Amino acid sequence: KLETNKRVEPAEPTPGMQSLKSARFLEVKEEPKYPDGFKSPNPALNLGGARKARTYDKDFLLQFQGVFKEKPSVDWDTKVKETLGPDEPASARAPASAR
Amino acid sequence: TNGQAAADGSVITVFDDPSNFNVKHALQNTWTLWFTKPPSGKQDWSELLKEVITFDSVEEFWGIYNNITPASELAQKSDYHLFKRGVRPEWEDPQNKYGGRWSYTFKNSKADDKAWLDVMLSAIGETLEDEGDNEVMGVVINIRRAFWRVGLWTKSAGQPPKKGSKEAADVEAGNADREAGKKRLEKIGKRFKDYLNLPEQEQIEFSGHQDSAHSGSSRAKAKFAV
Repeated sequence: KLETNKRVEPAEPTPGMQSLKSARFLEVKEEPKYPDGFKSPNPALNLGGARKARTYDKDFLLQFQGVFKEKPSVDWDTKVKETLGPDEPASARAPASAR
Repeated sequence: TNGQAAADGSVITVFDDPSNFNVKHALQNTWTLWFTKPPSGKQDWSELLKEVITFDSVEEFWGIYNNITPASELAQKSDYHLFKRGVRPEWEDPQNKYGGRWSYTFKNSKADDKAWLDVMLSAIGETLEDEGDNEVMGVVINIRRAFWRVGLWTKSAGQPPKKGSKEAADVEAGNADREAGKKRLEKIGKRFKDYLNLPEQEQIEFSGHQDSAHSGSSRAKAKFAV
């Protein structure tokens, strides 16, 4: 397809988006050493369980809030607008790349 | 230097380098975020319900949360639903047939983003229930004209064991508690109330979906409260 209009979204995934895709899952028994100032998940929540992933307390999870801010995909803003935004008449709807 | 670190097999978390990490934190379940659009005409509710995204890591949750409209900015008649993958956030889903929900209504028009975030974190972090409870289906926030409401959907509604079942036989023999299902839901409800940071005297209410469906509205009589 022809794309003559200037892009409103970056065409390439950012390094952070790519890292999220390629990173492997930590194993339950694996305890990485976090940088100074970051806490591990509360160990009391993870004693002796047969769960396939960890249980995470709120304080642990909140540490990510200011750290990971990558959009899930390069077309995320368009997708959010289409899914959450007000309905437009069908005739006014144009392909994202031509907007 | 992080490129080298990765090459020698060492672990780089998002805290070490947010744009060049090689491990991520798995959630116990895969979750789907749904959105209910405010009606603009005569659509069915089910046409307004849209899947936004499905995710399975802590990192991905924050990427979504940091880049989507906060609950406090949603229009009236919007809902967010965060449900385990494969469960539609509707009574009609067969997996919700025998279920119910805990809910609490806040009587102001603007949603508290922090309260809703805490509810989502308790769901994806799996701290609402104990291992093996297998009750939590999802959490929901409804934005309405003069109030907003949060809900926690569960798989059962605290019914006593069915006649003729093994559980009923255990109860009969004195080896099991007839109220075990209800007690399990009350334990989960208390945690939900804690995450909402509600004063002790406030009550959250539980109702079964079947009761709600038959009463024709979501204002069914509460079966129990904590």
